[in-house]
Order: sequence, then structure tokens, then C-alpha cells
Amino acid sequence: MMSTIGTKKVSIQNLVKIYQQPGHKTVTAVDDVSLEIAPGEFVTLLGPSGCGKTTILRMVAGFEVPTDGRVLIGADDVTGLTPDKRDTAMVFQSYALFPHLNVFDNIAYGLKIKKLPAAVIKEKVMEILELVGLGELEKRAPNQLSGGQQQRVALARALVMEPGVLLFDEPLSNLDAKLRVHMRAEIRRIQRKIGITSIYVTHDQAEAMSMSDRVIVMKKGKVEQIGTPHDIYAHPATEFVADFIGTANILDGQVVSVAGDEAEVAVLGTTFRLRGTRPVVSGEAVRAVIRPEAVELRASGGLPAEVLSSVFMGSYQDYHLRVGGQLLSVVDTNPAFKRVFCEGEQAFVGIRPDSLHIVAK
Amino acid sequence: MLKTNNADWQKVVRDPILLGAVSVVILSLIVFIVWPLFEVLQEGFFTLNGRFTLQYYEEVFRQSENIKVLSNTIGLGLFVSFISTGIGFLFAYADAFVRLRGKKIFNILAILPIISPPFALAMSFIMLFGQRGFVTNRLLGIPDANVYGFFGLAIVQVLTFFPVAYLVLAGLMRQIDPAYEEAARNLGATRYGTFKTVLLPLLLPGIANSFLLVFIQSVADFGNAMVIGGNFTTLAVKTYLQAMGNYDIKGGTALATVLLTISVLMFVVQKYWLGGRSYVTVTGKPSRQRELIDGQTERLLVGVPCLLISAFIFILYILIPVGSFVKLWGIDYTPTLRHYEYVFDLGMKPILDTTWLSIISMPITGVLGMIIAFLIVRKRFPGREWVEFISLLSMAIPGTVIGMGYVLAYNKPPLVLTGTAAIIVLSFVFRSMPVGIRAGMASLQQIDPAIEEAAQDMGANTFKVFTSVTIPLIKSAFFSGLLYSFVRSMTAVSAVIFLVSASYNLLTVSIMSQVDVGRIGVAAAYSTVLIAIVLVVTGVLKFLLGRLGVDINEVNG
Repeated sequence: MMSTIGTKKVSIQNLVKIYQQPGHKTVTAVDDVSLEIAPGEFVTLLGPSGCGKTTILRMVAGFEVPTDGRVLIGADDVTGLTPDKRDTAMVFQSYALFPHLNVFDNIAYGLKIKKLPAAVIKEKVMEILELVGLGELEKRAPNQLSGGQQQRVALARALVMEPGVLLFDEPLSNLDAKLRVHMRAEIRRIQRKIGITSIYVTHDQAEAMSMSDRVIVMKKGKVEQIGTPHDIYAHPATEFVADFIGTANILDGQVVSVAGDEAEVAVLGTTFRLRGTRPVVSGEAVRAVIRPEAVELRASGGLPAEVLSSVFMGSYQDYHLRVGGQLLSVVDTNPAFKRVFCEGEQAFVGIRPDSLHIVAK
Repeated sequence: MLKTNNADWQKVVRDPILLGAVSVVILSLIVFIVWPLFEVLQEGFFTLNGRFTLQYYEEVFRQSENIKVLSNTIGLGLFVSFISTGIGFLFAYADAFVRLRGKKIFNILAILPIISPPFALAMSFIMLFGQRGFVTNRLLGIPDANVYGFFGLAIVQVLTFFPVAYLVLAGLMRQIDPAYEEAARNLGATRYGTFKTVLLPLLLPGIANSFLLVFIQSVADFGNAMVIGGNFTTLAVKTYLQAMGNYDIKGGTALATVLLTISVLMFVVQKYWLGGRSYVTVTGKPSRQRELIDGQTERLLVGVPCLLISAFIFILYILIPVGSFVKLWGIDYTPTLRHYEYVFDLGMKPILDTTWLSIISMPITGVLGMIIAFLIVRKRFPGREWVEFISLLSMAIPGTVIGMGYVLAYNKPPLVLTGTAAIIVLSFVFRSMPVGIRAGMASLQQIDPAIEEAAQDMGANTFKVFTSVTIPLIKSAFFSGLLYSFVRSMTAVSAVIFLVSASYNLLTVSIMSQVDVGRIGVAAAYSTVLIAIVLVVTGVLKFLLGRLGVDINEVNG
């Protein structure tokens, strides 16, 4: 089986990328980003288009030259190296399979450049084809493969190089929804099996959540939050993260009093004692976040709520409520076994203080 | 246009192969295009003692004759562009919209002017309508028909250049999605209304484009103007006559500068002003094929003029081999082989010289062209815009100007090339390269850059990426660039007429001198041999490439 000895840590230090535009304008695509990625770790760069995630990946691969900062792979500073001299292998969004070469030759391409003996190349290619589940297809041309198969070839071509770091540039965005779910499990399975350091770029939060050891949420060239998928979902550091990952109620509130690291915040017509992501002072206007599924809907007891709309979505009931003069969306899962409230009805909501917290604007 | 910045520099500097390629390309463009042009520009501004002067320009413009030449050139250019675009439009419309048989002929019509000497039509036009022309003299019995002058030249230029307009417009029309017309019809427009309100506006930039392209060619045309222009002198001819006939190099360069200015201006307008104005490229490939018009009236209305024009052009081209087999055109139509005897006894040298010099320049042009296309499309490096501008500009530079530039630049140290084979090969290379570059660029733009990045990511250096991925992917463009380079070199005349010498004479130049002394039969025999060589060599190459699985025809347009 493939060795995992070669897998490396990656450290990105104060990376900056500024593009010149006509008329002396500049665009800062990546703004002073630093990251440490441990050997064998699967890290996702997540963010909307234009947030700089792909630019970072391309600077690690060597396709873009940083305006400032350094990239280290293992212990080596690779900032000045061309892509062919770096120990990285990339899976491209468009797969970028060589149309003039068959599956075998596509995968063997990098090994031939390394001038490995033909017998070794053959053995490695067949082994990797087995791993990605394409045993029989080595003679096919890329255009004779389905999207999912092309994706596997692209993955195999990168894996066979046994790179120190594996890079993924939105590799699943050209697949249909079902196949995407399947492939992300597949990529994760293979990555775990070989234990290779991986950096994965996506704008799809479900991909990021389901595959990663750590997620790095980016916005406008800066890191917004770094954490495990659970951290990021349960404790978004900023309003942007809360809004980008899943859905969230982002409510205006006001700090009534502060005691230690707890603050009493007026929101939804009542007050809660909350922990926040940043220090606050008494009287300050803040934002409080609560996930729609963290709100409990009841027939009695709790904060009174007016049902503005109620929509059956199959696995859940989707409500819009007015609570204490503020709008609150609530998701009640498994509605078949619960009381369903209709539009215009009076209901009550229960909120646990630890599911509500303050974020930076 | 992305401005170059520090990162671009670093990308080039950290990659020695890229740095080497960029340096070689920039150096060769400077030495073989910019420098000769600069020589032409500066020559007319300095006296023999090196003093700055405007005297040569004053002399040129004081002569009313030269003002007349200028207005001749522009008037002819406008007239020819207008008519050519109209005929080209008709052919393109017939090709893309009307159900007609035998449309394949249109493509042959478009290829004929490329594979024959640039003054072929002028020659056969004289054979038909000249003083002793078959039609004018033999059939109509007109004793002193004068075919030389504006009308003769204009008709010949239209017939030679309208295929340019046809190719541009047909390419555009094929890209228009029929859904637009269907939408217009669906909203209540008649077929004519659709044509006027949808098709014509969509094609307008293309029409302007083909107008300018024909204009550039008409202004630069040397061969036809020399052969059939008569007293109607154009700038290209006057430049040559002034420099080589009157030995007035300084006056010649002053005229050449005027000629160059017109061409460059048109090129800049065509590329940069019109370049961004096509609606069609934005919309991409049509979703499905168009239902062709098969109303009888429309088919006749479009088909008959196309048929007549095509037939006339075929007759003109067939006259060349025919003329080579008769004793004395216009007087004695007895079949003979004596013109060929003359050619094979006395005149083999230009045939061989032309062929092997063209063959030598072919791979140089092909490889350099693809490298330049690759650099322009795929790489960011300081000076990239200039490399693109200069290498495509050389397409618009009249041969007369560059030929004169080569004479001026390479007859003194540091680079003495006058009279050598090298100077001819270089002129072939840099004259025919732009077309290869264009084809290479167009092919590359269709190919996902990630494919080349993937190769580099797998450990291939820039050279390896180019040879193992780029070239295989654009091989059709590469090989058709090779073929085009050969054909274009074989038929070139305007630049090389300045460069031929006793040691190296060329076919086209020999043909022109035969026409000049009235030996039409010999000229026709030479032309036939030239066309035969072109057809044989390209045929053999196409056959060999077909064996290798390369289809040239897909990019030949």
C-alpha cells in the first residue's frame, strides 16, 4: 500500500496577494493570512466566491506568486519555486485531464516525468486505479468517461504522485447533487486511508462540514474563523460566519449589564445571560445569534410568539414567528409527532441561554 | 488588460526556460520587425550627412503626382472594400442561411487566392480583356481595349480579396444562435424584419471588420497593382518604383512611411476599436442547427449571383494553365510545350530556390509562431502586450515597407544579410508567422489552462509542458500554420522583390519580370509550376499528417 511517510505540514505565513488593475487600482485578494496545517490533516478553505480561498491554494501550488509572505511545505520555504518543483498535487475544478492521453497515461504522466522505470509506473498506476475504483478503465480516453469517473481519474493522477500535500480546487462543483455527496465520502475515505495532508477549497458548506478536520472560513481575503466543523457551526465568531454556515437568526440586542465574562443582554423582549466572543460594555448594541432548530416551540410556557407563517417541508416544519417585537425563524424537525401550529395562532418558545450567543458584527 | 507587476517579473525570473523563451521572442521581434520599420521611418528624416531634415517629405508631398497616388490608393481601397464586403456578405449568407448545392466550392474560392501568385488574377484578366484579350479582341473585335487602370485593378482586387470578407462573415454567421431569429419571428417580425432588426445589427461589427481587413489588403497589394495598374499608380507600387526604379531610397522611405501609417492605423482600429465590439462571441456556440431557407425565389436570388461570380473566377484561374500551353496568347493559339521547355532549360533556379527556401522557413515559422501564441495566451510577463501587438501588426505591414526595411537594416554591420538566403528566409518567417500565431492563440483560448497547470503540477517544467501537452493539444493549428507558411512563402512577392539577388532569385519575381516583358506564356508556365508545387507539397503533407491522425481542415479557415 502507499506510504504516508512523505506527508508534510504546511505553513502559510503572512501571505498577501495584491492584483494590479487598470488605472492604478489594486485588489487585495489575500490579506495577510497565516495558517498552520498539521501533517495528515484535512483542512477546508470555505467562503463565497472572491474571498481569496482559491488564490491561497494556487499560491501553495505555485501558480500565483505572493505579493508578500511565505509558504513552507514541510521545513522548506517553497515561495520562490515553480509549481513543478513543489511537492504538491492538485485536483482541479475542471479535472484538467489531458484530452490526448488515455486514463493510464494521464495518471502515469507525473511518474514518467520523475523517470521511474516502466514496471514501477505500471504497478503504481494499477494500484491507484484500484484504490479509486476504476480498475478496468485504464485504456479509455477522458471523453469516454462520466463526470464521476473523470473526477476519480483526476484524484488518482494527483494521489499517484504521493505528494506531501494534496490540493483540491472545488473538485466536486461539476458533479450532480447525488454524486457529489457520494464523492465527498469517497474522497474522505481515501484521504483517511493514506493519511495525506489535504487542503480543500469549496464554497459549499455541506462539503466543508462533512469532510474536514478543520474549516477555515474566509471573507474578502481575510480569515474569519478557524475551527472544527462543530465549533464553527455551534459557535460562529462573526455574524458573517453565522450567516454563511447553515441558517441563523441574527438578532439586534442591547447589553444591560456585564459581570465577568457574562453579559445580560436584552433581546426578544426579555433578557438572557450570555457569553460572547468578545468583551462588551454596558449599554452597547450587539448582535445575538440563534440557530432555527435550537428554538423549542410549545403550546404553553416560555416567551409568547405569534405564528406569521407555517410551511410543511417534509422532514421539518418551517415557522416564522414574531417574538417580543422581533422576527424569529424556527425549524421544528419531525413534525408528524408534534403539534403543528398554523398561521395566526399563538404559540410559545423556549430558548436555552447557551444556544444563544453574541457575535462580532 | 492586466498590468504587469512585480509578481509577473518574479514568475519569469524564477523560471529560466520561460525567461529564455521570452528573451528570444522579444529579441527576434525587435531585430526582424521593429528595427527594419524604424530604419524606414528614420531614413527619410535624415540627410546623407546625418542631419535632421524634412526635405524628403516636403519633396514627396510637393509633387502633385504623389498626392494623386495617395488619393488613388485610398479611393481604390474604399471602393474595393465596399464591393468586396458586399459580395463576401452575399456568399456568407448563401453559405449559412440558404439551402444550395455545391457550397463546398466557396471554400475552394477562398483558397485559390492563397495558393496562387498574388497577381494571378491580374494576369488572366489581361489575357481575357487586354489589348489582345480573348474576349475583347477575339470575340468582340475591339482593337485597342485598355484594361489597365482603375477598373481593371479594382475588379481584380475585388475578386482576389472578397474571400477574406466571406470567411470573416461566414464564421460569424455560423455562430449566431438561430434562437435569436426564432425569438424575433415569434414576436411577430417578418423574415426581412428579422434580417434588418436582428441579423444585421449582430453582424455589423463583423461587416466593419471585413471592410477594414480588405482595405488593409487592397492598400498593401503590390502584385496586382504592378501588373494591371497601368497609369493608375498606388502607394505600394510608387514606393517600389521610387526606391528601386529611381534609386531614390529616401523618397521611397517617405512614401513607405505614409503607406505604413495608413495600414497601421487601420490595423489598430480593426483590432482595438472593433475587437471588443462583437456581440456574437459573447453568446457562444449555437444550441442547434439552423433551418435553411429553401424558398425558390430566395434560392435563385442568392444562388445565381454566387454561381456567376464563382464561374468567372474559376475561368480566370483555369486560364493560367491554359495560357501556358498556347504559342502566343492573343495571336496564335496553337498548343505547344515550348514555354515549359524554356522554364525547365533556363529557369529552374528560381523554382528550386523558392521551394527550398520556403521549406526551410516552414518549421521555423511554425515553432516560433506556436511559442509566441503560447506566451501571449498563457504567460504573464513584462512586455506581453507589446509582443502581441508587434507580432500581429506584422500582418498589416505592407510587404513593400518591410522589404525596404530589410534592405536598409541589413546592408550594414552589425547584421549584413543583403544577398543571402538568410534574408529571404527571415522575411518569409516574419511575413507568414502572424497567421500561425492567430491560429495558435485561437486554439489555446479554447483549451482549459488548468490542463497545462496540471502538467506543471505533476512536475513538468515549462519546456516539457509545451512539448508534451500544449503542442499535442494545438497540433492542428500548428500544422496548418506550417502549411500556410509554406504556401505564403511560395507566393510572396511584395517584400522579397527587394531582397532577391543574382544568387537567390524567386519564382514570383521571375514571373513578374516575364509579364513585364510581355512573355505571358512563360509567366503562365511558371505560375502553373508554382501552383503545382504548392498543391503537391501541401497534398503530401496533408496525407502524411492524416496518417498521423491530424486533421488540418478543421482550422484551415
